[in-house]
Amino acid sequence: MGTLLSEHERTTLVDLLRVAFPHDRFPVGPYQRTALAVVDAAAGNPRLHGLLLQGLADLDTQREVGFSNLDVETAQLVLRGIADTPFFTAVLDVAIVALYDDHEVWEILGYEGPSYDKGGYIDRGFNDLDWLPDPRIESWIDSTVDSTVDSNEEAPA
Amino acid sequence: MTRFEYDDSDVVVVVGSGAGGGTLANELCQRGFKTVVLEAGPHLTGPDYENDEWKAFAQMAWTDPRTASGSWEIARDFPNLPAWIVKAVGGTSTHWAGACPRFKPHELAARSVYGPLEGTTLLDWPITLSELAPYYDRAELKMGVTHRHGRPPLPANNNYKVFANGAEKVGYRDYATGPYATNAEPFDGRPASIQDGFNFQGDKHGSKWSTLVAELPKAEATGNLDLRPDSHVAQILHDADGRASGVLYVDRNGTMRRQRAAVVCVAGNSIETARLLLLSSSARFPDGLANSSGQVGRNYMRHTTATVWGQFDKPVRMYRGETMAGVIADESRLDTDRGFVGGYYMETISLGPAFFAKFVAPGSWGTSLAEIVDGYLNTAGMWIVGEDMPQETNRITLSKDTVDANGLPVADVHFDDHPNDVAMRRHGRQQGTAVYESVGATRTIQTLPYPSTHNLGTARMSARPRDGVVDRFGRAHDVPNLFVSDGSVFTTGAAANPTLTIVALAIRQADYIATEFRSTAR
Repeated sequence: MGTLLSEHERTTLVDLLRVAFPHDRFPVGPYQRTALAVVDAAAGNPRLHGLLLQGLADLDTQREVGFSNLDVETAQLVLRGIADTPFFTAVLDVAIVALYDDHEVWEILGYEGPSYDKGGYIDRGFNDLDWLPDPRIESWIDSTVDSTVDSNEEAPA
Repeated sequence: MTRFEYDDSDVVVVVGSGAGGGTLANELCQRGFKTVVLEAGPHLTGPDYENDEWKAFAQMAWTDPRTASGSWEIARDFPNLPAWIVKAVGGTSTHWAGACPRFKPHELAARSVYGPLEGTTLLDWPITLSELAPYYDRAELKMGVTHRHGRPPLPANNNYKVFANGAEKVGYRDYATGPYATNAEPFDGRPASIQDGFNFQGDKHGSKWSTLVAELPKAEATGNLDLRPDSHVAQILHDADGRASGVLYVDRNGTMRRQRAAVVCVAGNSIETARLLLLSSSARFPDGLANSSGQVGRNYMRHTTATVWGQFDKPVRMYRGETMAGVIADESRLDTDRGFVGGYYMETISLGPAFFAKFVAPGSWGTSLAEIVDGYLNTAGMWIVGEDMPQETNRITLSKDTVDANGLPVADVHFDDHPNDVAMRRHGRQQGTAVYESVGATRTIQTLPYPSTHNLGTARMSARPRDGVVDRFGRAHDVPNLFVSDGSVFTTGAAANPTLTIVALAIRQADYIATEFRSTAR
């Protein structure tokens, strides 16, 4: 799919994503893939394409130096300044889905993804939490209430 | 696969194959009725389902356009996704979690017990709990509900361990891993849960009760079921006497079909059911079919919901295991001293990182979001679900400017919270936070309601025709052979997750239809 974004603009987009979703533990790969997802989404969407072209160019004019050369605090300030623009919200909309659906990100966050093919978690730790006691699993029987239909007692079959 | 003729006017047509429609269809087939089920979505089965939230959503969810209006946050955050329900065979019973509380006696008499609350259209149900109780038994037995009728409980998963320990610490007593309609041991030809954590995504294993795996196969075995997926009903037709005569639908090839019928039952989930009745207007029924009361689409309820997350300094891994196999029922009691009428349940919930990031704080980004997501591994989650107030202006209407792929006006879902809903949500968040803090949460997060999964009340039951759309058996007050067979008929919402009650009402409705229509339909 084609894009009119320059190499520089695509790099700016990656840097924007790193500031917008600042995770120390994430390498650049997931951000690059997320930027690609945004660019791909724009390929068939003239509105988003236009927002990206104009928005990324505008981003570079916010301070004396280009966005990618700003320190983190300043870059955050710049994004806060454009937070309500259609450009930024459109980027966020695509990016939040793509970034946190990235399997490298899942691994870093401690999420294991599909489990059915591995037999679920029945033998792989669905109940391995050991820092709290094992709680009751059966229903509580309220001995102070006498009701046949509104209690945890077995309803008549 | 049974096929009935389009012109066979002896059949019962059921629109929708979810908890209401799928159950009703099976019950009618068992009683010898020729039954045609028209399902708008495709026939997905276990192997089709995805162990992946976004892929599953794209595959299962009703994503045909809808619009949202009103002051609820959904209209701002998810304006084209007011509800999160399924378009596939089995309907939203393939997405539901399995929580099976019954209604409490006072919840069927909300108007009498709560009084005339300003701004509400509270009304007593035209049935009592003692009338419903035998049908609850039949529903629980059919569904294999845990903790009931001798069926064993599910074991505690990690999310439940945090939840239940917190419950005990704050003084709650009424907690357990159910009642829950997923097998802890093999039952009814379906296997025990393998705790795969993808309950909302269809449940590939088939351990969870759904009409897809439990009701429709049994209906098919009778030879009386003609199940037609990818069949979108556009209009219910009526004859000169004002009786339903059949339906017009668009089949999978885009061909228009007319299926004649002796009885028409609508079970499209509360938004689509109301939409279909409104679309079925005619010279005789200018405001929509079965709408002489003007109540079709009104009194839309969605339960008062919220999510509370607790983050800890140790791992939880909430995503492992049965998603909602944990309930605290203490707050479901009748107790107006809390500053609101009605009650609520707390139930375990889990989302994967993709949905967690999307829904935890809609629209947020930057450090605040990143810190929350960084704590994913150590997060426990609970959902608050409580009774919301029926209001005349919370309403499904036909959009004036948006149409679907078939050119049919889409549903607009208008919703404003009632002050009672706001007070209950605040209380629920407070209590949920206390539960997690009592077991050492270092951070708690309160999440807004998701797009609605419990859609209720748009064709409500009423004793008097002017107060509602259907009678105590779900039969339209205005049209003697038209039934509504889903959560639309709920007069008020109660706190309980609605599926068990929808199933119980569908069984009861089948009994009634069998009495009233046997001679013509057989």
